[in-house]
Amino acid sequence: MASLIPAVIRTKIHSAWAGWGAAGGQGASPDRAQTTLIWPTGIAAPLAMVAPALVLIPVLGLLPGLVHGGGFDLLAEFVQAAFTPSLDPLVVGSAIKGLGITVGIALLGWAASGLLGLALALASSRQVWVTYCGQVWPANLLRRLLALPRSIHELLWGLLLLQVVGLQAAVAIAAIAIPYGALIARVLGDQIDALPSGALAALRCSGVAAPQALLTALGPPLLPGLLSYGGYRLECALRSATLLGVFGLGGLGTELKLCLQSLQFHELWTGLWLLLVVMLLLETALAGLRRRWLMPRRLGLGGPSSGNPRLEAGAAQGSGSGRALAPWAPAGPGLASPNPARPGPLPTNPLAPESGAGHRGQGRAPRPDKLGRRGREMVLALVVMVPLLVWLARGMGVHPLGLLHWQPLPNLGGASWASVLALPWPQLVGTTLLLTLVAAGLAVGLAPLLLLVIAPWPWARPLLQLAWALARLWPPPLSALLLLLLLKPGLVTAALALGFHNLGILGRLLLESSDDSQAPAEGALQGAGVGPRLALFYGRFSGLARSYLAYGAYRADVMLRESVVVGLVGAAGLGTQLLESLSSFAWDQLLALVGVYALLTLVGEDLSDRARRRLLAPT
Amino acid sequence: MSAAPASELGQPSPGPEAPRQELPWLELSQITVPGRGRPRLDRVSLAIGGGERVALLGPSGAGKSSLLAVANGLLRPASGSLRWLGTPPARSGRARRRQQARIGTLWQDLRLIEELSVQQNLNSARLAAWGWPRALLNLLWPLDTAANRDALAQVDLGAELLDQPVSALSGGQRQRVAIARLLRQDPDLLLADEPLASLDPRLAAELLQLLLNQVTPRRALLLSLHRPDLLAGFDRAIGLRHGQVLFDQPTRTIGPADLEALYGGEQPDSGP
Repeated sequence: MASLIPAVIRTKIHSAWAGWGAAGGQGASPDRAQTTLIWPTGIAAPLAMVAPALVLIPVLGLLPGLVHGGGFDLLAEFVQAAFTPSLDPLVVGSAIKGLGITVGIALLGWAASGLLGLALALASSRQVWVTYCGQVWPANLLRRLLALPRSIHELLWGLLLLQVVGLQAAVAIAAIAIPYGALIARVLGDQIDALPSGALAALRCSGVAAPQALLTALGPPLLPGLLSYGGYRLECALRSATLLGVFGLGGLGTELKLCLQSLQFHELWTGLWLLLVVMLLLETALAGLRRRWLMPRRLGLGGPSSGNPRLEAGAAQGSGSGRALAPWAPAGPGLASPNPARPGPLPTNPLAPESGAGHRGQGRAPRPDKLGRRGREMVLALVVMVPLLVWLARGMGVHPLGLLHWQPLPNLGGASWASVLALPWPQLVGTTLLLTLVAAGLAVGLAPLLLLVIAPWPWARPLLQLAWALARLWPPPLSALLLLLLLKPGLVTAALALGFHNLGILGRLLLESSDDSQAPAEGALQGAGVGPRLALFYGRFSGLARSYLAYGAYRADVMLRESVVVGLVGAAGLGTQLLESLSSFAWDQLLALVGVYALLTLVGEDLSDRARRRLLAPT
Repeated sequence: MSAAPASELGQPSPGPEAPRQELPWLELSQITVPGRGRPRLDRVSLAIGGGERVALLGPSGAGKSSLLAVANGLLRPASGSLRWLGTPPARSGRARRRQQARIGTLWQDLRLIEELSVQQNLNSARLAAWGWPRALLNLLWPLDTAANRDALAQVDLGAELLDQPVSALSGGQRQRVAIARLLRQDPDLLLADEPLASLDPRLAAELLQLLLNQVTPRRALLLSLHRPDLLAGFDRAIGLRHGQVLFDQPTRTIGPADLEALYGGEQPDSGP
């Protein structure tokens, strides 16, 4: 077989594996050339971007065998109902009420996770510990401990809490707050530790007490990025709150699931359209606030040669570690454009509010009369936010103390560990990993592929954007249920549901980044008569590929964690088994499954971090 | 001015004896491009024939880049007409792209694709003619190596660079690779937007000579230039000021008074 591969290709393959990340070096020596030749993924940049879509081939091959007889009529009804949602005041009122609860859960869960995350970030920051007592081990210990709550999906937290404290409003909120808080703690802790310590040391030397010194030296540079990231977490919280509802934790999700199960598609679409409006309003409002407060963009995909690759990790949820994977990319609208004046790979203060992290892409400095406006507006927002949250909590009957009233825990002493061992572990783990890979391939590969397909037709863009918005808001378990109308349960069905949801997220990111980036090569190709698809593929995707794939690696890690939510379609690995064990009160199995899930997601997180670091290594 | 037959579009360029040689390679008539305050181009008319080497002179902001953008079809003028080989830009996207494939542009920022190898970049000049299968194959396999080697040889570069990523090249090598890419495109009309800016004098002179050498009876060159001292190799120069053509005459007839009128007290760049 090896002899069939030409020598030059073998060299390329070899150096691709051996020299991951060695591409694009500055050295031009012939020896170096052999290793610099290859882009880190082993294939040319634009091709690497769409290569994950190859997973479509086996999926399409398997689909005919998965389609079952009925369901096409129902699906047609579902699609038709999109244009004729129920306008019955009762239905609309009920949907609005459900939506109110979902938004309330999202807001309260988000606020709680912010507070929790801030406290844990400070407690797990090496710089903070060094400033206070000169030791770093407590920070390192806490960081390791925080890996566990972070690795368990909010749905699992919700279902576990539901068993322990019973159904109450605070469960969904805590289910969001715990993993989000741990995630924010890591992101923020990394960011604090990545900030230069010079200013802090100078303040401490001049006799300033530790708290004031920390606040003064680290607060201002952290704030813009923190707020931008916080906004992004709110978007995630809305999606999570809807998802939790699907599993019975209240709000619109519960109604959507009931409508779908009872095939009330017109009522279903009433809720969906309302949710879409709220989601788009939230996204637009947050984008507006980011612009107004000169905060870094939600995340950015500047090309490695165009932006700051380390900071454009695009790892929006901050699974990265250290500054190499800063979770919030300070990518202004024009950040992806070549700018020789941009600071080097490790800017001394990437998030400094006035250093241009947020507004440099807009190419103008804040007017002097606007100085301080941002601060005043932030304080005002906080003043409005606190009573709003209190009012929401009261209105929803949230009693945080209720979380402490645990129901009697099952006795694990009599656990049947033999039954735990008897579970088909290799198959469960293998299916979960395969499900993740297929879903990730679909989501990562299809987003650029669809952009290429519609490249010549500007009118198709709004349609694609609408489809992606629906994909984002439509919880994966509901897609899975919908797919069950047509397909048999199993891995492919689950992967399609998971992939579709993440396609909405990746597609939006890619489209925004593609619009924001400047790709002179694309213009040059068009000027030479190259068609719009090929010009986009060669001229623009080449520059975006690295950071897009880095974000894709992060998203694959999220999908592994999320694979539990599509477990309900059956035969979908650990998720399915976990939901079965949960409903049959098999606590021993449940404990083991949660443990394996956590272990798997931690390993996945580490792999995804490594892949991102390779992809984003400076060339 | 009779239009070239439509069937001619997209065909390989005929030899110098072909009848279309009499048509101007590029013809702009009364082109106006609006801008802020005053137009970027104001009723500009010019014609360039095969085998001509034409320099475009003018101070910064005179409209040189806009003129070149109109000439290669990337900027649509508000009024006036543009003809390539006697044919106006086609309405259909496909036919228009076939026309544009015969115009090669050397950009000031070169616009090479940093992530790809030299060979893949050189082949990207053929994308207009290639379909998707070859475009994809180009990313997987070394295609047209002999033609690429020839193109590199014409710009005094060795074939060993073919495998290099463009990002690993020196500044001078990048300039030459960009010209080699133009050669691979094999255009009838060569446009160059201040290709000599920010180059040291020796490199600028070499590069200019390289570009001038590419002009054949069936290929014309229009090059925008900051430096009147480099006019020697050109047949003709067009002076542009405030978006208007100030002069259009053979270079040998251009005197200090013309340059004084063109730059109007502004010091033309006479090289670093």
